[in-house]
Amino acid sequence: MSTKTPSEDDILRPMHTFTKKYVLLFAIAALALGAFLVGWMYQLQQGMAVTGLSDWGSGGGVTWGLYIGAFIWWVGIAHGGIILSAAVRLLGMDRYMPVARLAEMLTLAGLSAAGFYILVHMGRPDRMVTSVIGHYHITVNNSPLVWDVTVITAYFVLTATYLGLTLRYDIARLRDDLPSFSPNVGGKQLPDLLAPVYDVLTLGYTKAEDKVIDRMVWWVALAIIIMAPLLLHGGVIPWLFAVLPNYPSWFGGIQGPQFLTIALTSAISGVILLSYAFRRAYDWDHIITDDIFRGLLLWLGFFCLLFLWLQLQQLATGSFHSTTTHSYATASKLSHPMYVGPMLMVLGVLVYIFAQTIRPSLFSKGRAIAAGLLVLTATLVEKTYFVLSGFWYPSFNIYDGSPGEYFPSVIELLSIAGTIGMVTLFFLVLSKLVPVVELHAVEHLRGDHGHGHEHDHEPVEESAEQPEVEA
Amino acid sequence: MSTEDESFHPLGQEWENELETMLDDTEYDSDLGMQMAEDAMRVTKGELSEADFHEKYHDDVMEEFGVDDRPTEEAYEEAQKNAGGFAEMLKSVDSDGEESRRGMMKKMGAGAAFVGLGAFGASEGGSESEPNVAAAQEGDDTEQDVQWGMAIDLERCDGCLSCVEACAEENNLDRGVNWMYVLDYEDNGVDTSRNRLVRPCQHCTDAPCEKVCPTTARHTRDNDGLVLTDYDVCIGCRYCQVACPYGVNYFQWDEPDITTEDIEAQAQEEMGDHDHDSDVPHDHMSDERGRWVDSRAPRGVMSKCTMCPTRQDGGMGEDAVGTTACEDACPPDAIQFGNMFDDNSDPQTYADNPARGRALSDIDMSVPSADALEDDLDGADDDLESVLEASEDLDEETLRIMKAIEIVSEDFGEGDASHTEYEQNIVDAFDALEAHGLDLDSEEVLVGLDLADEPDEDEEFDGPDESAAQTVLVNEAGEPDSNFQLLEDMGTNPNIIYLGNEPGPQAEQVEGPVAYEDVEADLADGSSVPLADNRKDVLDEMTVGDAGVSL
Repeated sequence: MSTKTPSEDDILRPMHTFTKKYVLLFAIAALALGAFLVGWMYQLQQGMAVTGLSDWGSGGGVTWGLYIGAFIWWVGIAHGGIILSAAVRLLGMDRYMPVARLAEMLTLAGLSAAGFYILVHMGRPDRMVTSVIGHYHITVNNSPLVWDVTVITAYFVLTATYLGLTLRYDIARLRDDLPSFSPNVGGKQLPDLLAPVYDVLTLGYTKAEDKVIDRMVWWVALAIIIMAPLLLHGGVIPWLFAVLPNYPSWFGGIQGPQFLTIALTSAISGVILLSYAFRRAYDWDHIITDDIFRGLLLWLGFFCLLFLWLQLQQLATGSFHSTTTHSYATASKLSHPMYVGPMLMVLGVLVYIFAQTIRPSLFSKGRAIAAGLLVLTATLVEKTYFVLSGFWYPSFNIYDGSPGEYFPSVIELLSIAGTIGMVTLFFLVLSKLVPVVELHAVEHLRGDHGHGHEHDHEPVEESAEQPEVEA
Repeated sequence: MSTEDESFHPLGQEWENELETMLDDTEYDSDLGMQMAEDAMRVTKGELSEADFHEKYHDDVMEEFGVDDRPTEEAYEEAQKNAGGFAEMLKSVDSDGEESRRGMMKKMGAGAAFVGLGAFGASEGGSESEPNVAAAQEGDDTEQDVQWGMAIDLERCDGCLSCVEACAEENNLDRGVNWMYVLDYEDNGVDTSRNRLVRPCQHCTDAPCEKVCPTTARHTRDNDGLVLTDYDVCIGCRYCQVACPYGVNYFQWDEPDITTEDIEAQAQEEMGDHDHDSDVPHDHMSDERGRWVDSRAPRGVMSKCTMCPTRQDGGMGEDAVGTTACEDACPPDAIQFGNMFDDNSDPQTYADNPARGRALSDIDMSVPSADALEDDLDGADDDLESVLEASEDLDEETLRIMKAIEIVSEDFGEGDASHTEYEQNIVDAFDALEAHGLDLDSEEVLVGLDLADEPDEDEEFDGPDESAAQTVLVNEAGEPDSNFQLLEDMGTNPNIIYLGNEPGPQAEQVEGPVAYEDVEADLADGSSVPLADNRKDVLDEMTVGDAGVSL
């Protein structure tokens, strides 16, 4: 741990600084998103033919491609919030408290990006409301796609509620130091536009509610933690594919656990990168400590192990004595760079993480970042390959046009940059409005249970909400 | 199930009670139903024969339902000749939803259905289940007595692509949108001219595309079982295309080549002349329910073979009901479209006896008209030899086949299926011959045509020999080695029966006799556009940044 003592000023710093680097990053992110939005508008104008997709079968292509791969990837990254919330709220691992809120925000950002992909992928996104909501009571009984929309929406609402509830504590206490925005338009001075936002967020707040909120938050966290792994990446997202017997590389019960491990590896990686970015930008060495990175890295190693282990299960069952079409699909895995590459990347990360556990001197933040980047790249490529491989090796593989050809168009590739830009903008804006590190975390690191007073630095195991955890 | 559970049913007392309640909801006698159920369960266990089961309840059922059309009737009559059939049939019933369960009970006699669904509800439905599905649907609130479907004779298809062209013209499809697709394939290196597949949409009774649709745009039309896409509802997520194991869906990736105005203008021109049902719009796009399900899809939504709903709704005149564009266009009559619920429909008759169907189609051009026969026979004697000699167009072989067809057919020349037109031509010719004095059922003629055995001196002539007639037809027209439904193990219950070779898992497409690019379709805007085999080749022109490489 750093010798510095965490303070309220630390977590308010993002709101009180405005640097050239911030502007530059904002500009780059906005440009990436803007470029993709232009591409998307062109796609809306011309039709989906601007993508590299086509009909599978006699159509000689693949029906779903990078858009769906990236959709799964973003939902996976969105699981960061669950892991950290689970660790902090339910398991009492207060060590991760400083990055918990960042992770929860990443959940909202990731789900937004995933939801955006659903729209981008559709031929008629304008009908989303009339066609999907209008027939929901019928389709929810059958369509895995409707289950997806349902669970993603529920997850988003729960996480937003959770975040909203925990923000009340901080905003109520830091209100005087939060930014205001009263622009002068045409010589007319407008009132503070941000004040109503904070007012709504802290509507009816009294200190008496803290304990109640803590308990509510615990239950919401529990609900999210039960729902998200079991229903989202361990459920409806893999079920989009795993319930279809006509695609050997998709079909089967292993996809639930397999998807979940992939989600968790990318989620941890996302949190590592995000935490590092904020630590570097705002000198938070003493808040987001090396210890947190070591811990996150260890979790990453554990999930990488599960990831590879489940892949191994599939390779074994797919190549020992499988059906004709299943063996085609497995043979492709063993030879296709889009599968072999990601596996080697994840394996490399796994080896590094275990090595640095045995020999701590191998750890460095740079290597932790590299591990995160490698895993995120591997999961995006693997998920895209997963989607494509279904269409490449269907049960009914008689067509000359199968396996179909596919290379993502420029617009599809831009969507990756665009959604990363969108998520970056989300954090750039949000970090200017509300503290991205919990006040609780600062208090916890300082070892005090009160507010606003400097205490001697001492490690304390019990946090303020600990009794509620056991309630 | 606990040991105290007194239920006769494998799923236990609770299940039994639930179904008893459902029986109470029907207008029929619950006690009878439950008792029958118990005994029907014994049938499935082999403790009671089907015939005995049928006999035991026949009077009760007649009293209760007024009709006893339980599937055991045949067993009863044939006295266990076909043992196991009923139990097998029950196994194949798919308990997909409350509605079909209730429908089943009403139709089949409550008890039997109860057992079938309860005991074997989880079983996969195979092709054998079709009668049950039909029964279930008939009992539903929405009466479905028609299920459009096809029998496709793969051995008759010559790969000319006329059907693909006709479909493109009928529906004004973009290049490469091959709702109807014909392909040759090689299976394990064996290449015979018979390795060919004709692949329209299978219009599955349990369509996976419909199940996964997040909007109900993909739906089955209640009254005739057509699986259609509502172009006004579809959001273009393409999940139906993903879920379909056959690859029959084609997404409208860009603005279609032919405008709706052109389609409507063409429809007005072509349909305006027909005396059709006023409920059906004249645009060749909306069906009788007013939903936009026909012709090519607009941009951003999914399309596939529709089996021509405008025709089935009477929009192109009464003659076009029960036909499709591909069927009409097929030179060798390889496509037989009709009502799969009707044993006398074109597809069912054809699948039942393909040799007869083939011979009937082949002979049609050779059957002399009644007028021509009358002219030819004027003044000739009325014995077989003289008649054949006098007639210009009628030779012995033709007459033998004509007569053989009649011998193996039931309800010859009756009904409204397309094949009855062929039959009617034969009937007319026969009438002309009979009018001339030739008795076609006489010993002289039948023996002379080798369609009956000559009786011994002390025997009476016992009429035509059906097996001899069948042999004549098989020798003339051939018979497919097998018939099958495509990917039966997927549980989709397709409504297309194929006659001929089934492609194996290692089958691979090879070049056919006619290239897609060599066939042109005349579209509503007056253009003539060559077909395209691979849609991607057409679409690549619009891909932004297409570098011509593939992952």
